[in-house]
Amino acid sequence: MRLERGAPSTLLGACAIAAIASTSARAVAQAAPPAGHEDQSFDLMNLMSEHGLHDVHDESWNVYGQFTYISSWKRPFRAPYTNANGSVNSLVPDAERSFTGTFTLFFGTKLWKGGEAYLVPEVIAERPLSNLRGLGGSIQNFELQKTGGESPQLYRARTFLRQTFDLGGTPVEKDSDPMQLASTVGSRRLVFTLGSFTILDIFDRNSITWDPRQTFLNMAFMTHSSWDFPSDARGYSWGGTAELFWDDWAVRVGRITPPKNPNALPQEFRIFTYYGDQLEIEHDHKLLGQSGAVRLLGYRNRTDTGRFADAIAAYEADPTHKNAGECGGAGLYNYGSGNFSAPDLCWVRRPNVKLGAGINLEQHLTDDLGVFLRAMWSDGNNEVGAFNPADRSLSFGAAGKGSLWRRPLDVAGIGFGASWISEIHREYLDMGGVDGFVGDGHLPKAAAESVIDLFYSVNFVRAVWFTADYQRIWNPGFNPDRGPVDIFGGRVHAEF
Amino acid sequence: MRSSEIRVRLLAAALLALVLAPAPAHADVQAQGFGLERLTPSPAGAGWFSVDSLDMHGGLGGAAAVTASFAHDPLVVTASDGSRLAVVANSAFVDYGFAATWDRFRFSLDFSQPLWTKGDSGSVGGYAYSAPALDLGSNPDTLGDARLGVDARLFGEADGPLRLGLGAQLYAPNNSRDAYVTDGTFRAMFRLLGAGDLGRFTYAGSVGVHVRPLDDAPVWGSPRGSELLFAIGGGYRVPLGDARAGDVTIGPELFGASALKSLFGATTTALEGLLTARWQQGGEGAHLGVRIGAGGGLHPEFGAPEWRTVLSVELVQPGR
Repeated sequence: MRLERGAPSTLLGACAIAAIASTSARAVAQAAPPAGHEDQSFDLMNLMSEHGLHDVHDESWNVYGQFTYISSWKRPFRAPYTNANGSVNSLVPDAERSFTGTFTLFFGTKLWKGGEAYLVPEVIAERPLSNLRGLGGSIQNFELQKTGGESPQLYRARTFLRQTFDLGGTPVEKDSDPMQLASTVGSRRLVFTLGSFTILDIFDRNSITWDPRQTFLNMAFMTHSSWDFPSDARGYSWGGTAELFWDDWAVRVGRITPPKNPNALPQEFRIFTYYGDQLEIEHDHKLLGQSGAVRLLGYRNRTDTGRFADAIAAYEADPTHKNAGECGGAGLYNYGSGNFSAPDLCWVRRPNVKLGAGINLEQHLTDDLGVFLRAMWSDGNNEVGAFNPADRSLSFGAAGKGSLWRRPLDVAGIGFGASWISEIHREYLDMGGVDGFVGDGHLPKAAAESVIDLFYSVNFVRAVWFTADYQRIWNPGFNPDRGPVDIFGGRVHAEF
Repeated sequence: MRSSEIRVRLLAAALLALVLAPAPAHADVQAQGFGLERLTPSPAGAGWFSVDSLDMHGGLGGAAAVTASFAHDPLVVTASDGSRLAVVANSAFVDYGFAATWDRFRFSLDFSQPLWTKGDSGSVGGYAYSAPALDLGSNPDTLGDARLGVDARLFGEADGPLRLGLGAQLYAPNNSRDAYVTDGTFRAMFRLLGAGDLGRFTYAGSVGVHVRPLDDAPVWGSPRGSELLFAIGGGYRVPLGDARAGDVTIGPELFGASALKSLFGATTTALEGLLTARWQQGGEGAHLGVRIGAGGGLHPEFGAPEWRTVLSVELVQPGR
């Protein structure tokens, strides 16, 4: 089948067929948060437990680690224009290679009854495609950060305290996992988390696509592409969350810090003035004996960002001075565009509100196979503050394990993702404006940036996975004039 | 006027201009930052801020500690005319330490996060110093060098009057020299450790070498290569009621370093003292420990601050 631009409906059917036809099993993994460890896979805690050195069912501490190296090769693609009108945000049409390497340690310790502390240092080295420009909601490698370079850099990814208050219900055994001490808790409980973490550790979890280090490489499957959750340039925030678990139901609320400038590393700690609020309601269910979940997520950001309509109005009122090329001279933060005939968000940044709501579905079809779907709508009035410039997004697919062919630690999956921008967003980009990572300098007609991602992970020695991955991305940067783009990926992932 | 006369007058004017003109300014040499911090927190569970209790014993044990420090004027460069430049005027960090013990051995891993490192830029003695400008808001996740250590008790019982051992720590460089949190190179410490308990009196000390490839001589206030390390601490232990309540130990710690190339030289030696109090929960099983300390530079050069406060909280699971 030759997939053309605008082929989502064909793909939808293909994915559904693939999901049904697939004989693989339930995906283990997770997204940005680390995956739970399979019972059969190797890890230090289980090894110590086997030798009587550690109680893996009631832990006072644990330590886990992971290493992941991802390499992506982008083939040359068709592009009638690139960085038109002085823009700087196009995906380069030449062949390119990108990579990321991460090494992470997860330390956890029990402080008192229900109290836990976690520290996660991480090392990353990376080289993005086209300086991370030109892709909207479907960046080919979820590990890429908006800061960093090819030299390995150590940073503190997470530091947080967690307090659980047991409210009764039936006992629930929590496994020993990264950022989770093994213990028995009630199905009714209140959990507070305070510190520095990624909001994806707590919200929008999905047991099918939950760990991109083990499943899909494309960022479209890590979470909603259009959920502009506040974070620093690495994806982490400071703040607090509260979770109420009540048997099959869970309600989560959280407030976290945004960056000082959109997509930058420095954090804005005036959390009562600038913040991102999240609300999620989850219901877990059984359908034909198989587990599933429905999650509704809403967010409201109040951050120092610019509205597209304001940027256009400012430019039209004073095109000589309120253009992209003048931002630098005025000492205002922008993305390096030197276009003197384009609007720019730098002139109109002020406390603005961004809203969005989405749904996240997961359903296991067998013990070893699951399907998922995410969809989100954001208002599309404001620039991207921290994640992706997409204003609406949809993703779905299937992933599972290789139990049927006697490789239960192998993982395979196929997924389709699409993301859109609002009309005012398109108008701003068509005038030559740039928004975070997109803006080819010209966009008379926008289209859904779509991706299909296909992968297979082979497990070795219970602790190492080698992955082959293929992605085709249509309409990169929401631009139907460019692409499609073929990207081949390879991944080595180890857990211990 | 004849042309030869004009030439002579022009030449004379040029010579006069050369004589009267101010001497050309020599550009100051830019000094670079380095790993400034002299307080290297002892491994989690080691009992002290700068020395090691060497009481590892039993089966598998572990400890986690968080140590926070604030130091004032840890790097002040003084010119020959007496003018001073506080290149690093204030410095705060938090150190996350983890350790595992087994029998006589301890393996440790530390990550130090600079929270606040700021000072004044300027020129002294022909060198230009750029002050670091690091704070938690601008650098929310910055870490300095990572430190990997191993210590071994080679002589004496875990609670004996004299314990001797060896310790080694390897620094893996991280971050930028501009922030004064790293040398930008691998470096290591090798130390002879000693400790003991004599009734309610407890003591510990160490002497060793800091193998430091960075040598910025002759820049004032900068490293001169490898250093001699020394530290000593002593305290009096006061029990608090029942065994679980634990005890409080009060006493001083002294620690310092001196460049081997200029041993105990005035500007290449740092000596710092802390008056410390630490509470450690007693009894069986995991126990909590809290330490506080305050002090300053007895010889406030090259990283020893004018004054410092330090606080540490640790959780220790002794080997069974």
